Amino acid sequence: MSKIMKLEEGVNLIEDGMTIAIGGNVLHRSPMAFLREIVRQGKKGLRVVKTAGGHDVDLLCAGGCVSVVDAGFISYETEYGLASHYRKAVQDGLVKSNEHACYTVISALRAAKAGVSFMPVKGIINSDLVKVNDYFKVISDPFTGEDITVVRAIEPDVAIIHVQECDEKGNGIIRGPVYDDELIALSSKRIILTTEKIINRPYLTTSPKEVTIPGFLVSGVIPARKGASPCSCPTLYDIDKNVLKSFLSGTEKDKDKTLSEYLARYERADRYGGRQRF
Amino acid sequence: MINQSSIHPADLMVCTMARLIEDGETVFQGVASQLPLVAMKLAKATHAKNATLLNIPGGVNPAGTVLSEYSSAGWELWDRSEAVFPLEKVFDLSMRGKLDAAFLSGVQFDRHGNVNASVIGDYHRPKVRLPGGAGSAVLIPTVKKAIIWRTKHDRRTFVEKVDFVTTRGNIYKIVTPICMFGYRNGMLYLEAVSPYSSIDEVIANTGFEIKTHQGKPEVMSLPTREEMRTLRQIDPKGIRYKEFG
Repeated sequence: MSKIMKLEEGVNLIEDGMTIAIGGNVLHRSPMAFLREIVRQGKKGLRVVKTAGGHDVDLLCAGGCVSVVDAGFISYETEYGLASHYRKAVQDGLVKSNEHACYTVISALRAAKAGVSFMPVKGIINSDLVKVNDYFKVISDPFTGEDITVVRAIEPDVAIIHVQECDEKGNGIIRGPVYDDELIALSSKRIILTTEKIINRPYLTTSPKEVTIPGFLVSGVIPARKGASPCSCPTLYDIDKNVLKSFLSGTEKDKDKTLSEYLARYERADRYGGRQRF
Repeated sequence: MINQSSIHPADLMVCTMARLIEDGETVFQGVASQLPLVAMKLAKATHAKNATLLNIPGGVNPAGTVLSEYSSAGWELWDRSEAVFPLEKVFDLSMRGKLDAAFLSGVQFDRHGNVNASVIGDYHRPKVRLPGGAGSAVLIPTVKKAIIWRTKHDRRTFVEKVDFVTTRGNIYKIVTPICMFGYRNGMLYLEAVSPYSSIDEVIANTGFEIKTHQGKPEVMSLPTREEMRTLRQIDPKGIRYKEFG
């Protein structure tokens, strides 16, 4: 059975208030086409989960789609600097920043993956993040009696992951770094893949080891050529510096104009560019 | 001697950071970490040929020669590596006490070794929301040598009291453009001063009282000719200067 769907259909599956986990890392292999369509459709109140995000989380904050961000790090790294829309939304009280260590996001997802409600984590006990956030608790280790911090499970409603290749059943192949995407997939209720290319993948011609995301867990496959742009997609393209610069250069006054120009620039390519004839 | 005027603070910092890595150690570098990336490659090319270099994408000892100008977490650190060992496994390694060194940063530090990478102002309603500590809050307490670098050394960075404690304690060294702090008995102390700076300049730019350990601080050693030659090979485009704006 083919799980291929249009971008608009895939985004229709996202309901206001859902928890979404975003694949990739900082400026690499983010599912940008999907996230742009979330902004176009005006989704609200999303809780976003990621170890280290950048343009992806910043765009959703610019679009007013986010209520909570659970992450260890949100920035464009050194060259492009701070995620200004995310930062402002948090400072204005519009978005709640649930700061984690990247590893406590990983641990919270591992708990969900294993079907348990929390996961113990070492080291974080030294942090005031434990005092000011309700998703950390210090408990007594039942075996040693020592204090140990636990983090509450995060089970995303939907994982959105961009892959280089995928068959129509959703068997997704990630070329280059996988980052936390396998974990995100295995801890979420549903998985939507956007893919650079739909491949015909007869058994025995492609090694099953190449498949990162097993298709039987995947709900939807969306063809999205250049679907990570302006972020990079390893083996295929690097970041689009000009787009990132123009997105970040907009002043507070012309924020809406910068955002609508950015969305319009990609709209046709996002919705139709990835479709192939079969 | 090499011409002192040609030594940029980034070169001094990178060489100082590289020398903190010993041969055979397993070392991690994270996101937005151009200086550590270059320092680790320098160490491996000079005195620490048996070091194991780890990163977020998961490339063990990546052999590629091209360094990204905008990211220290990209594909080029995975390509041409000898094995795949991604972030979550690096964290696990540190948790069970087997990660030798990690390079981390922050925005504020105080004399007690408290590190703030989270917010300026109140945590829940911050004046400035910072990017966040990434791995710091679990790596600094668990790694054997938590090496902190910061390219700004001023009274807004080295403060009397941090606005928020993202993590505390277990610091090995803090390297800045003008000095290096060590950490003993829960307190930072001035271990070494740049040959281009002075104790007075460090005092003037530090928001807490400077202490030394066993007399006068050392003078940081300048990069050697060999280190500078290797640096230019490893980092011909000068990504190590990016943080200096």
